[in-house]
Amino acid sequence: MTTAKSDEVAGQGPAAPATPADRRERERMRRRAARRRGGGWWPYLFLAPWFVGLFGLTIYPMLDSLYLSFTDFDLLSPAKWVGTENYSRMFTDDPVFWDSVHATLLYVVVSVPLKLALALGVAMLLNRDLKGIGLYRAAFYLPSLLGGAVAIAIVWRQVFGGDGLFNDFLGWFGIKGQDWISSPDSALYTLVLLAVWQFGTPMVIFLAGLKQLPKDVYEAAAIDGARPVTRFFRITLPLLTPIVFFNLVLQIIDAFKTFTPAFVISNGTGGPLNSTMLYSLYLYKKGFTDLQMGYASALAWVLFLVIAGFTAVNFVASRYWVHYDD
Amino acid sequence: MGHQFSRRTLFRTASGLAVAGTLGSTLAACAGGTGAGSDSGKLTMTWWGSDERHAAYKKALATFGKKNPKIKIETRYSGYDGYFDRFNTQVAGGSAPDLLQMDTALVAQYARKGILAPLDSYVGKSLDLTGFSKTLLAAGTVDGKLYGVPSGIGVNQLTVNRSGLERLGLKLPDREWSWSDLKKIATDVYKKSGGKSYGVDDGGGSTLQCFEIFAREKGQPFFSDDGKKLGFTADTLQEWWEFWAGMRKDHASPPPAITSAAHNDLTKNAVVIGKALFTFDSGVYGAGGAITDAQLDFLPTPQGDWSGAREGNFVNGGVLLSATKASKQVADSVKIMDFFAQDATAIKDMQLFRGIPPTEKARSLISAGLAETDKLNMANADYISQRVGKAGNALPAPVPPPKGADQIWDLLFQSNLAVAFGKKSIKAQLSEFFDQAQSVLAG
Repeated sequence: MTTAKSDEVAGQGPAAPATPADRRERERMRRRAARRRGGGWWPYLFLAPWFVGLFGLTIYPMLDSLYLSFTDFDLLSPAKWVGTENYSRMFTDDPVFWDSVHATLLYVVVSVPLKLALALGVAMLLNRDLKGIGLYRAAFYLPSLLGGAVAIAIVWRQVFGGDGLFNDFLGWFGIKGQDWISSPDSALYTLVLLAVWQFGTPMVIFLAGLKQLPKDVYEAAAIDGARPVTRFFRITLPLLTPIVFFNLVLQIIDAFKTFTPAFVISNGTGGPLNSTMLYSLYLYKKGFTDLQMGYASALAWVLFLVIAGFTAVNFVASRYWVHYDD
Repeated sequence: MGHQFSRRTLFRTASGLAVAGTLGSTLAACAGGTGAGSDSGKLTMTWWGSDERHAAYKKALATFGKKNPKIKIETRYSGYDGYFDRFNTQVAGGSAPDLLQMDTALVAQYARKGILAPLDSYVGKSLDLTGFSKTLLAAGTVDGKLYGVPSGIGVNQLTVNRSGLERLGLKLPDREWSWSDLKKIATDVYKKSGGKSYGVDDGGGSTLQCFEIFAREKGQPFFSDDGKKLGFTADTLQEWWEFWAGMRKDHASPPPAITSAAHNDLTKNAVVIGKALFTFDSGVYGAGGAITDAQLDFLPTPQGDWSGAREGNFVNGGVLLSATKASKQVADSVKIMDFFAQDATAIKDMQLFRGIPPTEKARSLISAGLAETDKLNMANADYISQRVGKAGNALPAPVPPPKGADQIWDLLFQSNLAVAFGKKSIKAQLSEFFDQAQSVLAG
């Protein structure tokens, strides 16, 4: 399972405005392409490698998993059709499923807003012309590069363990810590903290957005005597809503799919007491440890529908709070 | 320049990523297909174990390679974590190893699915099992056919940090000890150490060395003979959990955070981190930590001290060597099994890294060169297997664990933890345990 797909956006940023010259060029290209459309198999030949990947590695396995989700399949013997049994079992006869839903929703609801707030805060601090600012930006982005790495999760396990650094730190203030990873009440929050720490990707996107905000509005506000707090809530935030929305959508999707840290920090168990049993981890355990690949496929499709649902709601709700310029 | 967040650009990028992300990774990861064994010229062999076991296997295989230059062996090894996840994936992907170390707890599942090759036709020809007792071979036998050659005698025992015990002025308990003796000495450890160390790691959720023996002492197997039901009653489990609740209350056993941290992680075992002196985990020897310089000793799992208690211990087969059915080199794999079973250099190389050697001949071969701890380990295993052999009232050795068994063991662990963390009462957890276990075994 890949992580941090959203990293790819970082380099693109919002599209540059089209000048009249650009538009003329584009029109010419379009006409030329239309002329060639007659002898059309060449382009497909060049696209073939990509199509092979798309169909062989994405579309076919997806459709296969849709089929498998209606079967009893243990990976080792042929799949048996069982209709919707996997889906009904999930909702009526599987308490661990509900544990994992609970852990995942809590994780998403807590980690995403914190991460975005931190990302925006740091982006605002870094949005100024200081000497060596590039260095600072790189330093703050660094944790995200390490992001999905197993090594970081292992470090986390040590830091928040019973005799870890975090408890040493608390010890300086006379606070007696506990084993944060092994207590069902705190284990999930160590995962949240790890996610929040990796705020680099949304930060870079926020930074790109902040740089595009019109200076004249701020000048006008300064003349009218608006304070920094007012400027933030009345100008920066409203103008930035498309970026906030964009980050929100991506981060929610990412958070739903979180796997590696939960797997490593809980040592593959999702424990203690299923408190770190994030949905993807449960799905993996069902498929590859308990050999219930049919059930795992059903879980994957439910996750897909839930993510699609959340994203759709997000888009609908965005009409009421996101301000576009076009 | 004005700001230019066009709805279309953002929307397009976002939805593209959303689709690529969710669909691509999550869904595609779940599809699989079935295929047949690997057919590269090499014979692949996999096992799990400690670094010492890796080194011993490699040394022995090098000798085998000299004697059989035509058989090229490619080895893959790791710890136990994820070993069978990987094996499952390899079988599904058609790249299963030809020869593998198999867990006695899982052999029945794989044999019944047709993954493993039956070995009966080789026995007495290229596979010499002279000196292997019938009870021992039962560990690799499923539905009357042999699917794995046992590496040695495995027994259920506790590992004791004897130096730690002596430092507190306490004596190693007698091998004929009971659960209340365990409670007494574990409580003493806590008191004498001034609260620095608990006595024994929490066994309330641990099945194999622990609850299974307790149930057998009550005359109840863990699984029914057909493997479709639990063999023990709710009363037995309730008594068990109450015993451990009492242990935790008296600080004879550590609090649940320590138990939870040690789950699937030997380096966090209570004895290894110096928080207890007795453990039910059989793998701590060589794990380092607090017991690096300690003298260890071994004890049988305690006996029942109620009237009518039966012998609960039993002997199993250590680990197994099994060949996969789809492999084209089963005959070569059998040669390697035979080598590990009977060859003197292999036996000496493997020492006790795969359990106490299975035959009298093998045991006498290695006994001279053994370290003190190994000698104690072997003595205790001998003691248990003799006692079990003599006992008239012991249940037969357990049936091979059915499909879903590992889920039930995990359920037992989690249930005990829920009680220990105070999230559930014993009564409430009991009914939940039996509900879920039945549904696992039925499905």
